[in-house]
Amino acid sequence: MISFLAAVDPAFKALAPRSADWLTILPELAVAGLSLLCLLQAMLLPKSLRPLIPVTARTGLVLVALMSVVTGPWTQAADVESFAGLLRQNLPTDGVRAVFLLSALLTSFLAERFLRERDAAVADYHHVLLVVTAAFMLLAQSNHFVTFFLALETAAVGLYVLVGYLRRSAASLEAGVKYLVAGGLSSALLLMGIVLVYGALGAVPGVTDSLNFTQIGKALAAQSAAGAVSPLTLAGVALILGGVAFKLGAFPFHAWIPDVYQGAPTPTTAFLGTASKAAGAFTLLILASGPFAPLAVKVAPLLAVGAVLTLLAGNLGALATTDVKRTLALSGVSHAGFILAAVTAALVLPGVDAFGYDVEQVVVLYLLAYVGGTFLTAQALVALPALEDHRRPQLALRGLLRRSPLLGAALGFGIGSLAGIPPSVGFIAKLLVLALLVAAKLWWVLGAALIGVAVSIHYYFSILREAVVRPTEDDEEVAPLELPLGTRVLVFVLAAASLVGGLYMLAGR
Amino acid sequence: MDTFPATLLALAVTTPILVGLILLAGRDLPRGFASGFAFGGFALPAVLAPWLLVLWSDPATAPQQFQSVGFWGFGFALNGLGAPLLAMTSLVGFAAGVKALDQEVEGRNTYLGLILFMLGGTLGVFGTNHLVGFYFFHEFALIPTFVLTLFWGGEGRRPAAMQMAIYLTAGAMASLAGILIAVDAAGVEYGAATFENVALGLQNAKHLPAAVGALVLFGLGTLASLFPFHSWAAPGYSAAPTPVSMLHAGALKKFGLYGIILLGLSSLDITGGALGSWFLWFAVANVLLVGLICLAQRDLKQLLSWSSVAHMGPVFLGIWVCGVTGQADGLDAAAFLMVAHGLSCAALFLLANAVRARAGTYRLDELGGLAARTPVLAAFFVAATMASVGLPGFGNFWGEVGVFLALRAQPLWLQAVVASTVVISAVYALRAVAATFFGPASEALEKRWAVAPFGDLGWAERAAAGVLLGASLTIGFVPSLVTRSVNPVAAGVTTYSQHNAKAPAKAAQPAQR
Repeated sequence: MISFLAAVDPAFKALAPRSADWLTILPELAVAGLSLLCLLQAMLLPKSLRPLIPVTARTGLVLVALMSVVTGPWTQAADVESFAGLLRQNLPTDGVRAVFLLSALLTSFLAERFLRERDAAVADYHHVLLVVTAAFMLLAQSNHFVTFFLALETAAVGLYVLVGYLRRSAASLEAGVKYLVAGGLSSALLLMGIVLVYGALGAVPGVTDSLNFTQIGKALAAQSAAGAVSPLTLAGVALILGGVAFKLGAFPFHAWIPDVYQGAPTPTTAFLGTASKAAGAFTLLILASGPFAPLAVKVAPLLAVGAVLTLLAGNLGALATTDVKRTLALSGVSHAGFILAAVTAALVLPGVDAFGYDVEQVVVLYLLAYVGGTFLTAQALVALPALEDHRRPQLALRGLLRRSPLLGAALGFGIGSLAGIPPSVGFIAKLLVLALLVAAKLWWVLGAALIGVAVSIHYYFSILREAVVRPTEDDEEVAPLELPLGTRVLVFVLAAASLVGGLYMLAGR
Repeated sequence: MDTFPATLLALAVTTPILVGLILLAGRDLPRGFASGFAFGGFALPAVLAPWLLVLWSDPATAPQQFQSVGFWGFGFALNGLGAPLLAMTSLVGFAAGVKALDQEVEGRNTYLGLILFMLGGTLGVFGTNHLVGFYFFHEFALIPTFVLTLFWGGEGRRPAAMQMAIYLTAGAMASLAGILIAVDAAGVEYGAATFENVALGLQNAKHLPAAVGALVLFGLGTLASLFPFHSWAAPGYSAAPTPVSMLHAGALKKFGLYGIILLGLSSLDITGGALGSWFLWFAVANVLLVGLICLAQRDLKQLLSWSSVAHMGPVFLGIWVCGVTGQADGLDAAAFLMVAHGLSCAALFLLANAVRARAGTYRLDELGGLAARTPVLAAFFVAATMASVGLPGFGNFWGEVGVFLALRAQPLWLQAVVASTVVISAVYALRAVAATFFGPASEALEKRWAVAPFGDLGWAERAAAGVLLGASLTIGFVPSLVTRSVNPVAAGVTTYSQHNAKAPAKAAQPAQR
């Protein structure tokens, strides 16, 4: 293909991938292969062996995670560019790769039993899940708006399917449609922005490819030094950031979150809340501190205001909810606010660090903490039988601790980590973000974050309170809950990690 | 540096936490084993921490004594203010532990484990000299407090626990912001952010705005029940199970004051300017308004809870006057009162629960005449009340007298206000004693006695109360036990704060002195 194109225009020759390039995305290729393997298994395996499919997917994900640990540029300080600058890898992209892999792995644990109980196909779900995961992994490494947009759209299309996966549930379908409309709008904004930037910078001397992040960064640096950034470029940048803010769920692009999260099947909600949010957070970070860094003076106030409003909207909104999934959806908005705040700190004071961690590391740590907390909580939710998955009132949790001490503990650790209670990793992550805000002297954002944490205690503890009070006579379901061994081990490992992980991060600092 | 005391310190802090962890993990451990194990967790610090206080040598040579490297990089280190508070906490923890072991509760091992966590966290706060460690252990102690109140509390526990959680989290967040800003402004690495280093760093840094001082003062003040951030406190102490009330009102709230002194007073100028006047008015309100609220209480435990808030007034005034005059005596007295109040307050909560166990109620109008039936309980209760109102011989006396003396150069109205606390607290405390133990027994009590006669104070309760009152008497007669470690710290704090004090604050110091 490339050789054919090279015959048309020699410029394409530069794009021809070297064999070393393929090695850099081996984990992504492996995850994509794994997704095909799921389909293949569904076709070939006899029905009695079908339960192997999720097991294969999980084993594969663990192996890929190990592989990316071994092959990733962990030890290299410099960035690794591949595919003629389409992709760029460094320590943070490897870290966020781990976030996506972990999130997919945990989603698979949630989904298997959940889908079987609802008589939905397990193999197809895993197939789509893995495609989305691979796309997110590529997205985090993209250094070019073409790979960026393609990866983002691949992931989005997969997520539309996962949100509307329960075809017999009106709520799931409604959520799917809502997500489709909101996602389509965000893609349109993003594409419009990309086109404006492409056009506005295309004619700048020295720029050969005005979609390449590195070249955009250089062009913007030159222009802003000369004070000649065109309004068209600014509009484009604003639109792109708006499109990304949609994925992240930041104010004012958070309106779709409560409905979609509540209606989606709970495993998808957990995946949406962690992997999709991580993708939004991380792309925002690489865009804002990469190609758009020269515009920091203009972008930073925008993000700061966004962070304050996101923190307030998420926390105050969650205060008024009684449905657990909805509460967690809006609390996820407030977590997006925390990430936005960290990104803002990176723009206001480049090179800012907290306890020796730079902003990218803090964001990855925050995301990992958030993944742990979310999945611990989701485990407790999914284990409770619910006729309608989109109705999870707090009352349904009543007596959880008595029915299954392990799940009660899982909820406690999960909510505790989300609420940022020491010594959980969630607390350490919040502490790092707050330290960043102090170092960058972002007082208003700091204030909003602190108010948010104080407010959040109310809704988080309301959830916990139902779980710990003893069931009364008129509660029908008081039978003990049985958990498979795998879930028990998983909950134990996650809880232990959420307890020790944060301390480990601070050890010796 | 001698490593032996350092090992004692590390053991004193980590033992309760480790024992608590094992009890939490072993929910089904046999009762006898769990009891013995938990007793060890409560008793060991109560031996080690007072021993450390006795070992305290000349603090001038080493600002942080008994430094050791703890787990996860949180170094344990004891400063002169922390040493007596650590000892007090360990004794309150021991008494609370004996009480908890004496109780019959559901999920006993978890209950004991969480109380051990509270104790370990509180000991950790006083046993670390590091600001991140301070904040960490402070939250580590608070979370079990919320859970214990929510689960095992008495009447009105759910709203009380929720209110407490929100107030204290808001306060913790404000203080966390203050701490982070102070460390950042001091230019100290987080790994080296001890109280001394931050104070030294802030001396050389440019003056921080008063808002930072306000964050620390009001954030930590919420925990120490400073007016008007106190409204969670009395319901919270009242609703909590007795061992938790003892630890919370006795020991936990003191680390709010500890932080205010070592961070706020020493380096953030919380007593100067407008912030200083707010501080004064709030402290006066703690004394007067909360004192009046105490007068209106008709429930023994509510009364103790409110009086525990009111007693913080003199402590705040001691801290305030130290910052204004730059003389150490106010801080000395405040620190002494912190230690003494912890002991007397815990003893009162313990004994009030003994009253309730016998009479079945905390309501003062349903009590009366208990002295005839439970003379030992009455004797202990009267002694604890006397300690609490500041009778000479008990530790509280030195604290209260010290605060009054430190205020001697202040305007007359302020002295009058503070003197009125003696009257107010004597009125409500003695009235409560009279209504509980003397006079004719109420009808309800007579009926209860007729149905099921109750015995006098049990041995476990005698031991617990005896330890607390004995310790109060000991520091009452040998005040140097506390003062010799506190005085150099107070002197150091005043040096720092004078350096930071602005001109108007210095002018408040009268010319004739």
